Amino acid sequence: MSRGLIFEVREFCLHDGPGIRTTVFFKGCPLRCPWCHNPEGLSFAPQLLIAPQSCVHCGACKRVCPRQPGEPCRACGACSKVCPQGCRRLCGVWREPAELAAELLRDRDFFLNNGGGISFSGGEPLAQAEFLLELCPLLKPVHLAMETSGYAPLATYQRVVEHIDLVFQDLKHADPTEHRRLTGVDNAPILRNLAWLKESGHAFIARIPLIPGVTDSEDNQRRCADLLSGPSGMLRVELLPYHLGAGSKYAMAGLKYQPGFDEHAAVQPRPDLFQDRGLKCVVM
Amino acid sequence: MNERIATQRDGLLAFSHHHLRRDVKWNLAQNFASRKLQPMERAAEGLANMLAAEKPAFLADERIAYIRTVKQIPDLYTEEEMTALRAKAYYHEKGVVFNFSPDFGSTIKAGLLARKQEIQARMKRATDDNDQEGQEFLASALCGINAVLDLADRYRQAAVAAGRDELAKLLARVPAYGASTFHEALQFLRILHYTLWCEGEYHVGIGRFDQYIYPYLKADLDAGRISKDEAYDLLAEFFLSFNRDSDLYVGVQQGDNGQTLMLGGCTRDGQDAYNLLTSMCLEVCCELKLIDPKINLRITPRTPLSVLELATQLTKQGLGFPQYSNDDVVIPALVKFGYELEDARDYSVAACWEFIIPGCGMDIPNIGAFSMPRMVDTVMRSSKAKTFDDFMADVRQQTRAEADKLEASLSNVDMLPGPFASVLCTGRIDTARDVSRGNKYNNFGVHGTGLATAADSLMAIKQLVFTQKRLTLTELAAAVDNNFNGQPELLAATRYDVPKMGNDNDEVDALGTALLDAFADAWAGRRNCRGGIWRAGTGSAMYYIWHANELPASPDGRLKGHPFPANYAPSLNVRVKGPMSVVKSFTKEHLQRVCNGGPLTLEIHDSAFREADGIRKVAQLVQFFAQQGGHQLQLNAVNRDRLKEAQKHPEAYRNLIVRVWGWSGYFIELDKEYQDHVIQRVEMSMGS
Repeated sequence: MSRGLIFEVREFCLHDGPGIRTTVFFKGCPLRCPWCHNPEGLSFAPQLLIAPQSCVHCGACKRVCPRQPGEPCRACGACSKVCPQGCRRLCGVWREPAELAAELLRDRDFFLNNGGGISFSGGEPLAQAEFLLELCPLLKPVHLAMETSGYAPLATYQRVVEHIDLVFQDLKHADPTEHRRLTGVDNAPILRNLAWLKESGHAFIARIPLIPGVTDSEDNQRRCADLLSGPSGMLRVELLPYHLGAGSKYAMAGLKYQPGFDEHAAVQPRPDLFQDRGLKCVVM
Repeated sequence: MNERIATQRDGLLAFSHHHLRRDVKWNLAQNFASRKLQPMERAAEGLANMLAAEKPAFLADERIAYIRTVKQIPDLYTEEEMTALRAKAYYHEKGVVFNFSPDFGSTIKAGLLARKQEIQARMKRATDDNDQEGQEFLASALCGINAVLDLADRYRQAAVAAGRDELAKLLARVPAYGASTFHEALQFLRILHYTLWCEGEYHVGIGRFDQYIYPYLKADLDAGRISKDEAYDLLAEFFLSFNRDSDLYVGVQQGDNGQTLMLGGCTRDGQDAYNLLTSMCLEVCCELKLIDPKINLRITPRTPLSVLELATQLTKQGLGFPQYSNDDVVIPALVKFGYELEDARDYSVAACWEFIIPGCGMDIPNIGAFSMPRMVDTVMRSSKAKTFDDFMADVRQQTRAEADKLEASLSNVDMLPGPFASVLCTGRIDTARDVSRGNKYNNFGVHGTGLATAADSLMAIKQLVFTQKRLTLTELAAAVDNNFNGQPELLAATRYDVPKMGNDNDEVDALGTALLDAFADAWAGRRNCRGGIWRAGTGSAMYYIWHANELPASPDGRLKGHPFPANYAPSLNVRVKGPMSVVKSFTKEHLQRVCNGGPLTLEIHDSAFREADGIRKVAQLVQFFAQQGGHQLQLNAVNRDRLKEAQKHPEAYRNLIVRVWGWSGYFIELDKEYQDHVIQRVEMSMGS
């Protein structure tokens, strides 16, 4: 049996699919998009999040830390248990499929009766595919949704999507060079998976983050529209304009937010480019 | 909202009617004292004087008249007299009839002249029977009616003089005669509600407005006398009027005026009571965006989602209502409390959330409050228990002891008369007794404050003292007294290592259930001094601050000076998984036993309401609440003020979730600049 590294289970997530849903956040992502708003979901290891604002310098965390001088933090979580202010939180817990499923299914009847369900997000759920493949059958017949970059081997992608009722497929940049420059990975596997997804007729929603001066060019939006057009099970395209605030959790994760673009610049959503190709498109 | 209503609303918010008001230095109390007037006479003369001092005034384009022009309502007793009265009996709050809901509908239907005839006929009998008290009451009631009719006639004459023909015609009919149209019914209700304030009553609930007013609307629509648009227009003006004088109700926070209005539910014979007026009320409140009247909506697990979506549109306005109550829980609970089924089906709420029956109820549903955390604190200091089970037995015993104490302090409760209020209450003319002497239901309600703090504290005691044996009760009490100073590890354990209510954790939730069961058991079978029973409840009113200040820190890791959660909700320092878990934690209890009233309170960031999709999801959450068997629910769209508070006191707002982009985060974990950003956005969205 495989284990999954999960960094949060959150109820009543409103934008992760139809109805009332609980979202499972998978820890770890192969991409490094500079606008990522979930930096605690990037690393594939448990880590300590520190929010120092309310620290009262009681010293409890230092007293309990087993670390030798110079030794790096192993995210053992000892300090998170003794901080009275809750400044320290261990992010990422290894979960077993049956135990996680039992927690999620406490709302099973309500999900089934009211058109809600469970969503997988992250991080990148596909990066923990074996775990996901064990988890999904345990959750059926509850409606399942997955938010994904689509960065995975085709076979993996296919096997997982078979279990998923609604895929939120990201499309960050149509240009391979730009995609590699921005996210650190090639978009070929993503586009290949997207092509299969369209062909399969599987229900999906395409999501395109519009990052000012980065992905919101007319050219990129047009090329994305081209990639998405044609017969498929796509319900709509969602354009997600960048909002200030993406960087708010970096400090807590011990990272520095360096977006490398002008956060304050206006984005230029072009739903018309999608609509011209007969695609339903909304700006979120 | 049409232009006429928009203009009236603007005028109201700009206080443009305040120039009509004048100060009156009353000396009635001294006058009454020197004449040694009896309470009944004082009530009658007080109202007559107040109404005589009022001068008819109209606003431009107004179609429903009556405005307060005298700022002060006269005191009827000198301070010394009140002190003397209070030495002889317990008078709750101001001592008058309050926190109730009359039967407006019957009088609106019959007219005051018909009421007068009833009183005169009854007076004959009282005279024949040589019933002194009855005669005094009936004379005072008559005096009140005459004063109301007199002011109405002066209003009518003023309307004639001002060329306000429509109002003049209206006032020629009501309140003397029964209303024959929707417009007349609204004008009548305005006069009655206004008069009760003038008699000195307060926290007067409007009751089941959509039930007793709907027949007039329906008849008008069926006969083609009124268009739907005109009906909306009149309803909006009527609702505006509740906000016109409310700033004069001094002594309480602005807005805490008990002008509650109950919608929906079922009829006295159990049929679905939702009607056109129900939805019109929700819609009009959505447009007006004013804090009065305070809307309550009765629902069941079967209430259509479309109704809940309409109600959610109102929640979105950030006013903190509608407040929901679940008929499937409340009605059986009231029957268990001893209310007749037909009356139970007719329930409304008092000033906040206490369930009362309009017309025939003279309950005092907020007569006292129990501090649940204080009980736990007391037992922590006194118990010699060796096991947690024994400790809980001590908790139950302490609960009974506290009930004994409260009961003893409330063994002689009296109320000052309200003869005009009595005219509007069921059967008071027939019995020839003022409603202050009692009505069909005379129950007392006791709030249970800080349940979650108490249950979480019990869980800490169970785990740290009895299971882990990390410290003794005495050591825990010392740590609490010392505000956990110098023991950060212990404080962290109490806060984060011990399960809390609100996360659907059966072990701690069972302790909440046990506490409420003990609370209900402690009151079961007791009779109060007015012939009623004692009802336990889950509300807190303002006690969540007061009771918290009486205590040092608590075993759940709450520090000295921090409040309890309001009403029935998770502790403020608990991070919960989400609203579903909160609902589940707070619906496991035997709520039918503690149904005095007191809502589960949930905060949802107002960004959740922006899209149609979000409205539907919040509505589904309400449905989930009803399906889980919750009794009462208050949903808040979180606003800027709360966010500002959260910045200042992050420890108290751990659950505040905000939507920052395509994602949600815990507000207090955001850096300040991002918090500020969210606040700015909220400021913008609120104005839109």
